[in-house]
Amino acid sequence: MNLPAGKAAQSSGALSKTKIAAFTLALLGAWLLALAVSLNIGSVRIPVGKALALVLRRLSGGDAGGDPMAAVLFSVRLPRALLGSLVGASLAVAGTAFQSLLRNPLADPYVLGVSTGASLGTILYSIFAGWLGLAVAGGVGVGGGFVFARPVAAFLGAALTVGAVYVIAGGSRRRPGGDSQRLLLAGIVLASFLSSINVFLLTSVNQADIRGIFYWLIGDLSRPVDASVYPVLGLVFGGVFLLFLLSHNLNLISLGEEDALILGVDVRKVKTAVYVIASVITGAVVSVSGPIAYIGLICPHLGRMMFGGDNRILVPTVFLFGAIFTLLADTLARTVLSPAELPVGIVTALAGAPLFIYLLHSKRGSSL
Amino acid sequence: MTAILAATTGADGGGAMLEARDLRFDYRRPIVKGVSFRLAAGTVTGIVGPNGSGKTTILRLLDRILPPLGGEVYLRGGVPISSLKRREIAREIAMVPQNGGVSDYQTVFQFAMQGRAPHLSRLGFESAEDEGIVLEALEMTALTRYRDARVSELSGGERQRLGLARALAQDTPILLLDEFTANLDVNYQVELMRLVRDITRRKNLATLIVSHEINLLGAFCDRAILVAQGEALCQGGVAEVLTRENLRRVFGLDFSIRHLPGGKVEVLPVISTDDATGDDGCGCGVGDAGRMRPLLAVGK
Repeated sequence: MNLPAGKAAQSSGALSKTKIAAFTLALLGAWLLALAVSLNIGSVRIPVGKALALVLRRLSGGDAGGDPMAAVLFSVRLPRALLGSLVGASLAVAGTAFQSLLRNPLADPYVLGVSTGASLGTILYSIFAGWLGLAVAGGVGVGGGFVFARPVAAFLGAALTVGAVYVIAGGSRRRPGGDSQRLLLAGIVLASFLSSINVFLLTSVNQADIRGIFYWLIGDLSRPVDASVYPVLGLVFGGVFLLFLLSHNLNLISLGEEDALILGVDVRKVKTAVYVIASVITGAVVSVSGPIAYIGLICPHLGRMMFGGDNRILVPTVFLFGAIFTLLADTLARTVLSPAELPVGIVTALAGAPLFIYLLHSKRGSSL
Repeated sequence: MTAILAATTGADGGGAMLEARDLRFDYRRPIVKGVSFRLAAGTVTGIVGPNGSGKTTILRLLDRILPPLGGEVYLRGGVPISSLKRREIAREIAMVPQNGGVSDYQTVFQFAMQGRAPHLSRLGFESAEDEGIVLEALEMTALTRYRDARVSELSGGERQRLGLARALAQDTPILLLDEFTANLDVNYQVELMRLVRDITRRKNLATLIVSHEINLLGAFCDRAILVAQGEALCQGGVAEVLTRENLRRVFGLDFSIRHLPGGKVEVLPVISTDDATGDDGCGCGVGDAGRMRPLLAVGK
């Protein structure tokens, strides 16, 4: 064995706060760059300088003064870019959490059926809201006055799905959570089952906007952003912060539950908390965007290839990877066939599947 | 029972660091049926018993990885372990599990640093002091020169030493070792047992080791507990426990016992090449059934 001997104490590869902060800031910079590109591109080109000036004027309380570019920027492009970032960031972090928890690199909200469960919750809410005569503008995915109701319905869908996956996988008191292979298989089965229910419900309901519904089911960011985004925002940032606090415990659990117990982690409590939080943030964003595939799979992989398996650095960096990836994907989705728009889920799948195959076969991709 | 316990502590002179009282556990069938013992500081205790006798389960009950269905474990000052949080238990009891989790991306130093987890803040950022403790643990286990190597590069014996280093970094008064010398060449087994004994003395630990290697336990343990079918048949000084009669009763084999200085014993199975052992003649492959049958015959 050839080993480098006698390195300085700092070189032991221990993760420092400085390293986490540095990479997070660097990725934040990359996200801003992606944001600038995304705001620039579209049917109306908005030069970066102009966009920046408009944003600065708006932030300092100034009036855009009926500038047509300002209207496009503030009512369409910026909200959509921010929403896309938020959705992608959440799905990516939820994927990281599930993968670490189940010790399986294929676990992500989509594969585990959590996203599909959240869609079902959203669809059911929309149908019932319609029956109850609540204002449901534009059909599925856009609730009326109750801004909290839709994310809550999506979360319930997600949480019930997680519960069902858990039961199907045969989790019990003695074997909390079953084993991760069974959980994954149960998730895949339940996801395909729920997705047929979704299609059945949507086709049997007399809705005009079949195309919109269809897009939403694939994952779509083209709907106008309304007030329902605020609770989503709160849930996501709160949830991601909590996951960051749990990230060291999650590191220990991903080594093995017995080791984690020996090292003082209350495994059951942490696992339950991570499950619930990851389901909440998935449910919250799916209620807005629909289930978008591959983000929760690709972004954590990318993070692990660059930074290793430590969740303390993965949570903040994968959050930003998710934001950047989805922002760029959505920018492509709304421009590549302009003036027609693709749902972002198609772009993430088209980009994600080959990327994932590449990662599987690359040397470092197997490091998980 | 109190008399037995008093005798147990009296023999070592040290105070009890851990006391197990009437531990019970069953999973479909009874696995541990009311086991009691004490572990003293500065002492290596070995648990001896055939496969399926409940040795490993006892260890897991002590650390509360499995909560016992009956009985209780008391720590220093009579603190019942069930009243402690997981993190607090991890500051009292360290354990080297049989198949510890290893991830490829970790270095030796990082792996040992995990032992500091119960002492660190929520996010697990370590201080210079923690680093010092980990370096000392690597020093004691002779792993200092591998500190920046990947865990996957280590040999089997080195990995076991690393498991021990992580447990030492936990800085606990009690150390539990599960099949610590399994699957290693005999020279590594001796080296590891010597290391465990020396560290136990140096750090005044209460060490409990589960092993199939009766001879190693006879040579390096101070005390022994003989377990069969979930019960502690006898316990005490290693020479009192590892006797021909006791071992024959449990394993159904003849043993040659030689007393060594310092109350230790050399224990060797007398291997018969008769076909009566029901084996292919080498005698070393006596199956579980073969070991268990004599016990049933003698016990009941």
